[in-house]
Amino acid sequence: MKPTPSFNRSLWVFHLNSGSCNGCEIEIVATLMPRYDPERFGIKLVGSPKHADVILVTGPVTKKMADRVKRTYEQVPDPKVVMCIGTCGESGGVFYDSYSLAGPIDDVIPVDVYVSGCPPRPEAIIHGVVKALAKLERLEAAP
Amino acid sequence: MALTLSTGSGFWNPVVWLIAIAVVVVVVYLVWRRGEAGYTAGSAQVKPFISGNAEPAKKVAQMPASNLYWGFTEALSGYYSRVVPAHTGIVTDYLLWVLWVTAALFLLVVIT
Repeated sequence: MKPTPSFNRSLWVFHLNSGSCNGCEIEIVATLMPRYDPERFGIKLVGSPKHADVILVTGPVTKKMADRVKRTYEQVPDPKVVMCIGTCGESGGVFYDSYSLAGPIDDVIPVDVYVSGCPPRPEAIIHGVVKALAKLERLEAAP
Repeated sequence: MALTLSTGSGFWNPVVWLIAIAVVVVVVYLVWRRGEAGYTAGSAQVKPFISGNAEPAKKVAQMPASNLYWGFTEALSGYYSRVVPAHTGIVTDYLLWVLWVTAALFLLVVIT
Protein backbone atom coordinates (compact mmCIF):
# COMPACT_ATOMS: atom_id res chain seq x y z
CA MET A 1 0.00 0.00 0.00
CA LYS A 2 2.93 2.34 0.59
CA PRO A 3 4.03 4.17 -2.55
CA THR A 4 7.79 3.60 -2.14
CA PRO A 5 10.07 1.66 0.25
CA SER A 6 11.10 4.97 1.85
CA PHE A 7 7.67 5.00 3.49
CA ASN A 8 8.52 1.80 5.37
CA ARG A 9 9.49 3.89 8.39
CA SER A 10 5.92 5.18 8.49
CA LEU A 11 4.41 2.52 10.68
CA TRP A 12 0.82 1.65 10.00
CA VAL A 13 -0.76 0.23 13.09
CA PHE A 14 -3.78 -1.98 13.57
CA HIS A 15 -5.34 -1.98 17.01
CA LEU A 16 -6.97 -5.15 18.32
CA ASN A 17 -8.89 -5.29 21.58
CA SER A 18 -8.82 -8.85 22.89
CA GLY A 19 -10.94 -8.16 25.97
CA SER A 20 -9.48 -4.99 27.41
CA CYS A 21 -11.29 -2.77 29.95
CA ASN A 22 -10.73 0.14 27.48
CA GLY A 23 -8.18 1.83 29.74
CA CYS A 24 -5.41 1.04 27.25
CA GLU A 25 -7.62 2.18 24.38
CA ILE A 26 -8.02 5.59 26.05
CA GLU A 27 -4.24 5.87 26.30
CA ILE A 28 -3.78 4.78 22.67
CA VAL A 29 -6.22 7.50 21.61
CA ALA A 30 -4.36 9.96 23.86
CA THR A 31 -1.14 8.96 22.09
CA LEU A 32 -2.69 9.80 18.72
CA MET A 33 -3.86 13.25 19.84
CA PRO A 34 -2.07 16.48 18.80
CA ARG A 35 -0.10 16.61 22.07
CA TYR A 36 2.11 13.75 20.80
CA ASP A 37 0.99 13.74 17.17
CA PRO A 38 2.71 10.56 15.93
CA GLU A 39 1.11 11.02 12.51
CA ARG A 40 3.79 13.61 11.68
CA PHE A 41 6.11 10.56 11.49
CA GLY A 42 3.60 8.70 9.35
CA ILE A 43 2.45 6.53 12.26
CA LYS A 44 -1.29 6.03 12.07
CA LEU A 45 -4.03 3.57 12.85
CA VAL A 46 -5.43 1.61 9.94
CA GLY A 47 -8.75 -0.18 9.71
CA SER A 48 -7.52 -3.54 8.42
CA PRO A 49 -4.66 -5.82 9.49
CA LYS A 50 -3.90 -6.28 5.80
CA HIS A 51 -2.59 -2.70 5.67
CA ALA A 52 -0.65 -2.88 8.91
CA ASP A 53 3.02 -3.23 9.84
CA VAL A 54 2.34 -3.39 13.56
CA ILE A 55 -0.53 -4.89 15.48
CA LEU A 56 -1.31 -3.38 18.90
CA VAL A 57 -3.04 -5.93 21.10
CA THR A 58 -4.74 -4.83 24.31
CA GLY A 59 -6.49 -6.96 26.89
CA PRO A 60 -5.80 -10.39 28.38
CA VAL A 61 -7.30 -12.41 25.44
CA THR A 62 -10.61 -13.93 26.41
CA LYS A 63 -11.49 -17.42 25.18
CA LYS A 64 -14.02 -15.94 22.76
CA MET A 65 -11.36 -13.68 21.27
CA ALA A 66 -8.47 -16.18 21.01
CA ASP A 67 -9.42 -17.44 17.53
CA ARG A 68 -10.05 -13.92 16.32
CA VAL A 69 -6.71 -12.71 17.64
CA LYS A 70 -4.94 -15.59 15.84
CA ARG A 71 -6.83 -14.96 12.62
CA THR A 72 -6.14 -11.22 12.70
CA TYR A 73 -2.44 -11.83 13.40
CA GLU A 74 -2.22 -14.23 10.45
CA GLN A 75 -3.71 -11.61 8.15
CA VAL A 76 -0.99 -9.02 8.79
CA PRO A 77 1.52 -9.12 5.93
CA ASP A 78 5.12 -10.06 6.72
CA PRO A 79 7.31 -8.69 8.20
CA LYS A 80 5.13 -7.78 11.15
CA VAL A 81 5.57 -6.77 14.74
CA VAL A 82 3.18 -7.45 17.59
CA MET A 83 2.97 -4.96 20.46
CA CYS A 84 1.32 -5.97 23.71
CA ILE A 85 -0.13 -2.87 25.35
CA GLY A 86 -0.84 -3.06 29.06
CA THR A 87 -0.34 -5.41 31.97
CA CYS A 88 -3.37 -7.55 31.09
CA GLY A 89 -1.80 -8.67 27.85
CA GLU A 90 1.47 -9.50 29.59
CA SER A 91 0.16 -11.54 32.47
CA GLY A 92 -3.61 -11.36 32.59
CA GLY A 93 -3.34 -8.48 35.08
CA VAL A 94 -6.19 -8.34 37.54
CA PHE A 95 -7.99 -10.99 35.46
CA TYR A 96 -5.07 -13.47 35.66
CA ASP A 97 -7.11 -16.31 37.22
CA SER A 98 -10.36 -15.68 35.38
CA TYR A 99 -12.20 -18.71 33.99
CA SER A 100 -12.72 -16.93 30.67
CA LEU A 101 -9.10 -16.27 29.69
CA ALA A 102 -7.12 -17.98 26.94
CA GLY A 103 -4.24 -15.52 27.36
CA PRO A 104 -1.99 -13.77 28.16
CA ILE A 105 -1.28 -12.65 24.61
CA ASP A 106 1.98 -14.54 24.14
CA ASP A 107 0.11 -17.79 24.83
CA VAL A 108 -1.92 -17.09 21.70
CA ILE A 109 0.40 -15.23 19.28
CA PRO A 110 4.10 -14.30 19.41
CA VAL A 111 4.74 -10.86 20.93
CA ASP A 112 7.72 -8.66 20.00
CA VAL A 113 7.29 -5.60 22.21
CA TYR A 114 5.73 -5.40 25.67
CA VAL A 115 4.51 -2.06 27.01
CA SER A 116 3.73 -2.37 30.71
CA GLY A 117 1.27 -0.33 32.70
CA CYS A 118 -2.33 -0.34 33.75
CA PRO A 119 -2.80 1.51 31.52
CA PRO A 120 0.58 2.52 30.08
CA ARG A 121 1.16 6.24 29.54
CA PRO A 122 1.34 7.58 25.97
CA GLU A 123 5.10 8.14 26.37
CA ALA A 124 5.52 4.43 27.13
CA ILE A 125 3.45 3.48 24.07
CA ILE A 126 5.57 5.78 21.87
CA HIS A 127 8.72 4.23 23.35
CA GLY A 128 7.29 0.80 22.45
CA VAL A 129 6.60 1.96 18.90
CA VAL A 130 10.25 3.06 18.58
CA LYS A 131 11.32 -0.42 19.71
CA ALA A 132 8.85 -1.95 17.24
CA LEU A 133 10.31 0.16 14.45
CA ALA A 134 13.82 -1.05 15.30
CA LYS A 135 12.62 -4.66 15.29
CA LEU A 136 10.81 -4.18 11.99
CA GLU A 137 13.93 -2.72 10.40
CA ARG A 138 15.89 -5.77 11.57
CA LEU A 139 13.24 -8.08 10.11
CA GLU A 140 13.20 -6.17 6.81
CA ALA A 141 17.00 -6.29 6.59
CA ALA A 142 16.99 -10.06 7.17
CA PRO A 143 17.21 -12.13 3.98
CA MET B 1 -9.58 8.13 -41.02
CA ALA B 2 -9.42 5.20 -43.39
CA LEU B 3 -10.39 2.69 -40.72
CA THR B 4 -13.45 4.63 -39.65
CA LEU B 5 -16.79 3.05 -40.38
CA SER B 6 -19.45 5.72 -40.56
CA THR B 7 -23.10 4.90 -40.20
CA GLY B 8 -26.16 7.07 -40.00
CA SER B 9 -26.08 7.05 -36.21
CA GLY B 10 -22.36 7.26 -35.44
CA PHE B 11 -18.96 5.78 -36.24
CA TRP B 12 -16.77 2.84 -35.28
CA ASN B 13 -13.00 2.89 -35.35
CA PRO B 14 -10.68 0.10 -34.10
CA VAL B 15 -7.91 2.61 -33.23
CA VAL B 16 -10.22 4.42 -30.82
CA TRP B 17 -11.02 1.10 -29.19
CA LEU B 18 -7.34 0.18 -28.90
CA ILE B 19 -6.59 3.53 -27.25
CA ALA B 20 -9.52 3.04 -24.84
CA ILE B 21 -8.31 -0.48 -23.95
CA ALA B 22 -4.74 0.83 -23.42
CA VAL B 23 -6.07 3.53 -21.03
CA VAL B 24 -8.05 0.92 -19.08
CA VAL B 25 -5.00 -1.37 -18.86
CA VAL B 26 -2.86 1.51 -17.53
CA VAL B 27 -5.49 2.41 -14.90
CA VAL B 28 -5.80 -1.27 -13.84
CA TYR B 29 -2.01 -1.54 -13.59
CA LEU B 30 -1.78 1.61 -11.43
CA VAL B 31 -4.49 0.29 -9.08
CA TRP B 32 -2.80 -3.13 -8.95
CA ARG B 33 0.59 -1.53 -8.20
CA ARG B 34 -0.91 0.29 -5.20
CA GLY B 35 -1.79 -3.11 -3.66
CA GLU B 36 0.12 -4.74 -0.81
CA ALA B 37 2.98 -6.73 -2.28
CA GLY B 38 4.27 -8.28 0.94
CA TYR B 39 1.73 -11.03 1.37
CA THR B 40 2.10 -14.78 1.32
CA ALA B 41 0.00 -16.47 -1.32
CA GLY B 42 -2.19 -19.30 -0.07
CA SER B 43 -2.06 -18.10 3.57
CA ALA B 44 -4.69 -16.39 5.71
CA GLN B 45 -3.37 -13.10 4.34
CA VAL B 46 -5.37 -13.56 1.16
CA LYS B 47 -8.64 -14.24 2.98
CA PRO B 48 -11.07 -11.40 3.64
CA PHE B 49 -10.83 -9.62 6.99
CA ILE B 50 -14.19 -9.88 8.76
CA SER B 51 -13.20 -8.41 12.13
CA GLY B 52 -11.25 -11.58 12.86
CA ASN B 53 -14.26 -13.84 12.35
CA ALA B 54 -13.95 -16.95 10.21
CA GLU B 55 -15.15 -16.57 6.66
CA PRO B 56 -18.57 -18.23 6.44
CA ALA B 57 -19.34 -20.68 3.65
CA LYS B 58 -20.49 -19.03 0.45
CA LYS B 59 -23.94 -20.60 0.74
CA VAL B 60 -24.40 -19.16 4.23
CA ALA B 61 -23.16 -15.69 3.30
CA GLN B 62 -24.97 -15.51 0.00
CA MET B 63 -27.94 -13.17 -0.10
CA PRO B 64 -30.53 -14.34 -2.63
CA ALA B 65 -31.84 -11.76 -5.08
CA SER B 66 -35.38 -12.59 -3.91
CA ASN B 67 -34.56 -10.66 -0.71
CA LEU B 68 -34.76 -7.49 -2.77
CA TYR B 69 -38.48 -7.90 -3.36
CA TRP B 70 -39.31 -9.49 -0.03
CA GLY B 71 -41.80 -6.71 0.82
CA PHE B 72 -43.62 -7.27 -2.44
CA THR B 73 -44.01 -11.02 -1.96
CA GLU B 74 -44.94 -10.48 1.70
CA ALA B 75 -47.66 -7.96 0.78
CA LEU B 76 -49.08 -10.34 -1.85
CA SER B 77 -48.56 -13.51 0.20
CA GLY B 78 -52.26 -14.40 -0.07
CA TYR B 79 -51.91 -14.48 -3.86
CA TYR B 80 -48.54 -16.26 -3.87
CA SER B 81 -49.68 -18.94 -1.42
CA ARG B 82 -52.29 -20.04 -4.00
CA VAL B 83 -50.31 -19.52 -7.20
CA VAL B 84 -46.92 -20.97 -6.22
CA PRO B 85 -48.26 -24.52 -5.45
CA ALA B 86 -49.88 -24.53 -8.90
CA HIS B 87 -46.41 -24.21 -10.48
CA THR B 88 -45.64 -27.89 -10.25
CA GLY B 89 -43.21 -27.94 -13.18
CA ILE B 90 -45.16 -30.84 -14.74
CA VAL B 91 -46.18 -30.13 -18.35
CA THR B 92 -49.34 -32.21 -18.21
CA ASP B 93 -50.53 -30.12 -15.22
CA TYR B 94 -50.11 -26.97 -17.28
CA LEU B 95 -51.93 -28.54 -20.23
CA LEU B 96 -54.76 -29.39 -17.84
CA TRP B 97 -54.89 -25.73 -16.78
CA VAL B 98 -55.07 -24.67 -20.45
CA LEU B 99 -57.84 -27.18 -21.02
CA TRP B 100 -59.87 -26.00 -18.00
CA VAL B 101 -59.45 -22.31 -18.81
CA THR B 102 -60.32 -22.89 -22.51
CA ALA B 103 -63.40 -24.86 -21.48
CA ALA B 104 -64.44 -22.12 -19.05
CA LEU B 105 -63.97 -19.43 -21.71
CA PHE B 106 -65.85 -21.56 -24.23
CA LEU B 107 -68.77 -21.89 -21.85
CA LEU B 108 -68.68 -18.17 -21.14
CA VAL B 109 -68.79 -17.35 -24.84
CA VAL B 110 -71.58 -19.85 -25.52
CA ILE B 111 -73.70 -18.67 -22.56
CA THR B 112 -73.32 -14.99 -23.34
